[in-house]
Amino acid sequence: MSKFKTLMKKREFRTLFFLVAIFIIVGLVNSDFLTIGTIQNSLKSSLLYIVLAVGLTVVLLTGNIDISVGGTLGLSAAVSGLLLKNGGSIFVSIVVAILIGAIIGLINGLGVTKLKISSFIMTLGMLEITRVIQVIYTDGQWVENLPAGFKQLSQMNVLGFNLLLIIVMAGVIIVHLFLTRSRKGRYFSAIGDNVDGAILLGVPVQRYVTYSFIASGVCAALAGLIFASQIGFISTTAGLGIEMTVIAASVLGGVSLSGGVGTVIGATIGAVIMISINSALIYMKIPAFWNDAISGLLLITIVVTDAVLSRRADKRTKKERLKARVLHQEEVSINHAHAK
Amino acid sequence: MNETNNLINLEEIYKSFHKNNVLKGVSLKLDEHEVISIIGGNGAGKSTLMKILTGVYRADSGKMEIGGERIENYNPAIAHEKGIYLVPQEPLLFPNMTVEQNITFGFNKSKYEIREETKKLYAELGWGIDLTRLASSLTIAEQQQLEIIKGLLRKAKVLILDEPTSALTFSETKSLFEVIRKLKDSGVGIFYITHRLDEVFEISTHAVILRDGKVTLKGNIKDFTKDMLIGGLLPIGSESKHSDSFEKKYTGQMDRPPVLTVENISGDGFKDISFKVYQGEVVGLAGLVGAGRTEIAEAIYGITKCRKGRILLGDKDITQLGINETVSNGLSYIPEDRFLHGIFPISSVRNNMTAQVVRRKGFFIDNKYEKEVTDEYIDRLRIKITDHHQEIKSLSGGNQQKVVISRVLSTNPHLIIMDEPTRGIDAAARSDIYSIINNLKEVGFSILLISSDLEEIERISDRIYGIYRGKCNAYLGFEAINAVNVMKAAFGTYEGSDSYVEI
Repeated sequence: MSKFKTLMKKREFRTLFFLVAIFIIVGLVNSDFLTIGTIQNSLKSSLLYIVLAVGLTVVLLTGNIDISVGGTLGLSAAVSGLLLKNGGSIFVSIVVAILIGAIIGLINGLGVTKLKISSFIMTLGMLEITRVIQVIYTDGQWVENLPAGFKQLSQMNVLGFNLLLIIVMAGVIIVHLFLTRSRKGRYFSAIGDNVDGAILLGVPVQRYVTYSFIASGVCAALAGLIFASQIGFISTTAGLGIEMTVIAASVLGGVSLSGGVGTVIGATIGAVIMISINSALIYMKIPAFWNDAISGLLLITIVVTDAVLSRRADKRTKKERLKARVLHQEEVSINHAHAK
Repeated sequence: MNETNNLINLEEIYKSFHKNNVLKGVSLKLDEHEVISIIGGNGAGKSTLMKILTGVYRADSGKMEIGGERIENYNPAIAHEKGIYLVPQEPLLFPNMTVEQNITFGFNKSKYEIREETKKLYAELGWGIDLTRLASSLTIAEQQQLEIIKGLLRKAKVLILDEPTSALTFSETKSLFEVIRKLKDSGVGIFYITHRLDEVFEISTHAVILRDGKVTLKGNIKDFTKDMLIGGLLPIGSESKHSDSFEKKYTGQMDRPPVLTVENISGDGFKDISFKVYQGEVVGLAGLVGAGRTEIAEAIYGITKCRKGRILLGDKDITQLGINETVSNGLSYIPEDRFLHGIFPISSVRNNMTAQVVRRKGFFIDNKYEKEVTDEYIDRLRIKITDHHQEIKSLSGGNQQKVVISRVLSTNPHLIIMDEPTRGIDAAARSDIYSIINNLKEVGFSILLISSDLEEIERISDRIYGIYRGKCNAYLGFEAINAVNVMKAAFGTYEGSDSYVEI
């Protein structure tokens, strides 16, 4: 029994262990990597990925996937960026970005729940559509020269820590508590864990799947704002290919692609790992293009291990079940006594 | 105690799915302190009825009262509110949550309150599942216990147990029965769905028999005997209901060595199975869903391996062979689920028919040969198609099955295993397939037939082995085959069954 307890803890623990290992190994090769500055930088550049991974995790928990995050990020960043450039207030542009994310999420959610389109296809289509809308809206131009006040947002420090970092971390903890402790929050993982069971217990499955896509859309929009603030301009290819990195980060952090398992904390650590690998390669003087191959390899290893483990468990239960069905000698004698 | 309150009152419930009438006016009453066993063959409508009770399905028409109160708009959430709780056959837990999370899921109460109540229940029932365990680590018995506890914590007044013992060992069953008795004494009303007649007499107060969407028998258990229950399960006037287009006569050649000999095989889901199939006969394996028939067929065909025993095809030992080898040795299998394993749905009729012989024709596909084969079988089995290249998906169920049979025949097999050959096929096509099967046996093919449609088994088999809970404990020769005996064999109560033999 305690075996399972440790196994359960292992999922997040494994990721954290892995992160520490990266830092130690790279630190041994090049001690510059272990300075506070590098670590802060790693965290800062992974902020955007953390926000995306948190949103995606909510979708993954329900057993679906959201590939449109990159497109949502680009579109909401471009729209609010143009707004800012034309003298809009920071507050309004944030609200607009969130609205765009929520609407895209709502469309995704309705497509998956009402039209029964597989979430992969639905969000893949949405990714392409949002990209094109972004190009049309910006006339294919980069959105540059954002107001300094907006760019300042990502550079503010409180007590020596980056303000955004503090906000995001607080957000992660709140979402984590919501998903694991609150009654409704647990609906998300229940849906991915066992849909039929959730229905039987009165969980409004379709509504909560839609919520999850909205959450992911809003997170992608927030990530778009962070992107705009950190980089200072929005290209037409902003966030291109980012969905793969974020999916990899979540899975690396112990979120299962088949749903029901995982936490946003794990996904956060996964996101930090993905960025750390990136900068670690630089410090180890390995060409940066290895990054994708390494994260791909990690992803496959984790998914395959998970699949093998769960398949083995399935087989075992099936066997157990079949065995219990067979008439046993002791029952025969009891029935025999009854018959008399 | 004599003052019992009515918990559930169903009147004239009708339900159909796509013109398929599943429930045809079922009326049922459940009072406090009652355990009502609901017995019925496969497809009798038991599960549908229970799903209506729990609000998963909505009845087409009929009246429903819970606790004397007329219910109109119903859904699972209301069912829980009203204290109706289903313990499904396959427990619907959340495998990746802990026991405690499973218990508290969807509950409005505080965790501590629930924990206290759970402890009290544990003490009362003599159970003790560690609350911190993951649900996926529980045995099936524990999962069921957990489901029952979930129901009781919700103050369930009506508990529906859907074949709860199907995956339990003997001692686990005993302790479950203890709990049922305790619950009954405390006033809970229980619907107990089962196939096992022994259990009906052991724990229920009343029995209800569902057959073909109707209640054919109900009353106090004290007024019934096993034979009466079997009688209620039989189709009314079954002897004369169907008129076959063929006359069944025995064409088996029992004096020649058997085509298939199964000696004492054991595996997952079956134990010590022995039987023989001779040339020119249809041998039926009669049993209910989950009795182990499909598992036996899969072991013979080579999909799974058996742990013990021997399987001989002619005089060749095929026990350890894989599918490829059993097929080349002359075995054929028409699987249970045509749509999943039997056809290539978007391929043409011709491609489906010749899928198993195509490779014999060298490097290129021999088109002429394919055409000949297809024409031959379309003619022989009277398959209705417009053209060879029609997608098989677009055919009716009966014609699809005929194409599958053609494909199997094209390999010229020694033995054909048919698993549920007429499932989802309409009545006319069904008797067509029966006469095809009858023709095949007269031409000299040997057929091992598996079906949970006991009438089907009775109509076309020459000899029948009854499979009950993974054991072969009844044998019916050609003369002994009739509806009553087949029913008894499937429910494990045929005289000469193991349970009646001195040990």
